[in-house]
Amino acid sequence: MAGNQLPLSIPPDSAAPRLPARISPMQATAIDAPFDDPGYLFEPWWPGVRGLVFVEGGRLRLQAEGLNDALACLPELAMLPRQLEVDGVVIDGTLLILDGTGRPDAHLLRRRLAGRGRAGRPAFVASDLLFAEGTSFTGRPFRARRRRLEQVLRAGDRVIVGRAYEGDGLLMADALRELGVEALSARQLSARYRAGSAGAAWLRAPTAVGGAEVQRARPLLALIQRLPLEGS
Amino acid sequence: MARSMWRGAIQFGLVTIPVKLYLATESGGIGFNMLHASCLNRIQMKIYCPYHDEVVPRSETVRGYEWSKGKYVVVTEEDVDAIPLKTLRAIEIETFVDARKDAHGAQFVKQAYYLEPDDISRKAFYLLKKVLADSGKSAICKIVLKDREQLAALNPFASTMLLTTLHWPDEVRSLEELTLPEADISFKPAELAMAEQLVASMTGEFSADAYRDDYRQALMEVIERKVAGEAPEPARRAEPTNIIDLMAALEASVAAARVDRAKVTAEPVSVAKARPEADIEVPRQRRRKTA
Repeated sequence: MAGNQLPLSIPPDSAAPRLPARISPMQATAIDAPFDDPGYLFEPWWPGVRGLVFVEGGRLRLQAEGLNDALACLPELAMLPRQLEVDGVVIDGTLLILDGTGRPDAHLLRRRLAGRGRAGRPAFVASDLLFAEGTSFTGRPFRARRRRLEQVLRAGDRVIVGRAYEGDGLLMADALRELGVEALSARQLSARYRAGSAGAAWLRAPTAVGGAEVQRARPLLALIQRLPLEGS
Repeated sequence: MARSMWRGAIQFGLVTIPVKLYLATESGGIGFNMLHASCLNRIQMKIYCPYHDEVVPRSETVRGYEWSKGKYVVVTEEDVDAIPLKTLRAIEIETFVDARKDAHGAQFVKQAYYLEPDDISRKAFYLLKKVLADSGKSAICKIVLKDREQLAALNPFASTMLLTTLHWPDEVRSLEELTLPEADISFKPAELAMAEQLVASMTGEFSADAYRDDYRQALMEVIERKVAGEAPEPARRAEPTNIIDLMAALEASVAAARVDRAKVTAEPVSVAKARPEADIEVPRQRRRKTA
């Protein structure tokens, strides 16, 4: 916690490589329906491409699914290291292209990654922190990784720590259907980061079940707790 | 390398430093060609003489100055070359000013040019640059460009010097027509502190790379789509386009969903029963007041 405001002042070429060259990312487990659980952090499953950001010696690398050099397609993200408070960082998140109205556009993203044109505005929504100051955080619970992520990455026009909600998965699903987002992500706050299949540590749920209203698994408890707040 | 648009010499006391000038900037606009709408061929601009009723080749034109209504005097290249201006092929340094304090007149800039020294003048060129940089000075000079004597400032820049043409004092408009009651405004210490804090929190290094012309980019996208044979998207209102706004949209949607949920469950839950009692309280108090 102490000293987290340290400016990025690592002289280039000074440190031996401390970060792994590639990381096998955690893969979410698909489930059938959203749910409420205070042990989970809920986020939109933004329509984008999974991306791992590596920053070492102030230099940025982007590891994205099926791409050799994602940064060549998304040069606008090269400013990302300037938003970091520390060096030796690996961040897990989602690469997006925003259209003229600021909404993620999967079509524009495909065009970009295919090297066709420079349409739209690239963005990166950060969700998880794997390394900071060259030290692995993968063994720490997600709650601690997320807290450190929020200290390490300052919000900018293109790169931000995504807004997330603890516990309220069903509410999130309602909100996301309105936004036209089809799935939500649920990360278990007590879970470690693991390569490959996440099991219960990370779930992906559709926001709408069978095209109809979302089944409300355990809604009443959460809602009664919230009512006094809404009334005041 | 780009073509130089001017050759001449920096005149500095008895020292002459031959240099070339290059435009340092270019217009960011996207160039269009004018086409005939029916056949899409390039339209040609012809110079037309209404007296002879014919198209005139450019070689048969001269420059005329209207000195009285309908009366012109012809000004030729020879006339221009004969003007006894010292600055004709020279960047004549008039004075050196403190680079930071001279901001008053030097803020009304027109155009920036890069300088490139001739082979023989490199040493003098870089000596002048070093002196300017070390002493924090800026050279105010005159130069004739595009038939006009121009006021300019010469400053060290990267591995060369930058010549910035300035507006003459009589080209700068007066502030008198604007309402500017600066002297009447006073600030509380708290207001000053808050403003200073805000400035401090947003202070950074200026890097031009971080800024871009969004309109130009949007226009290029329309053009690229048309070239690719896709219909351009209809113009949409300027709406949030960055990731912070997307998060704000998410928050708004979650807040709306929360309100909807509260409405749905308000009736069956016991909290709703408390409301009628509260409603009764209000009329009672009113009656007391009027009585």
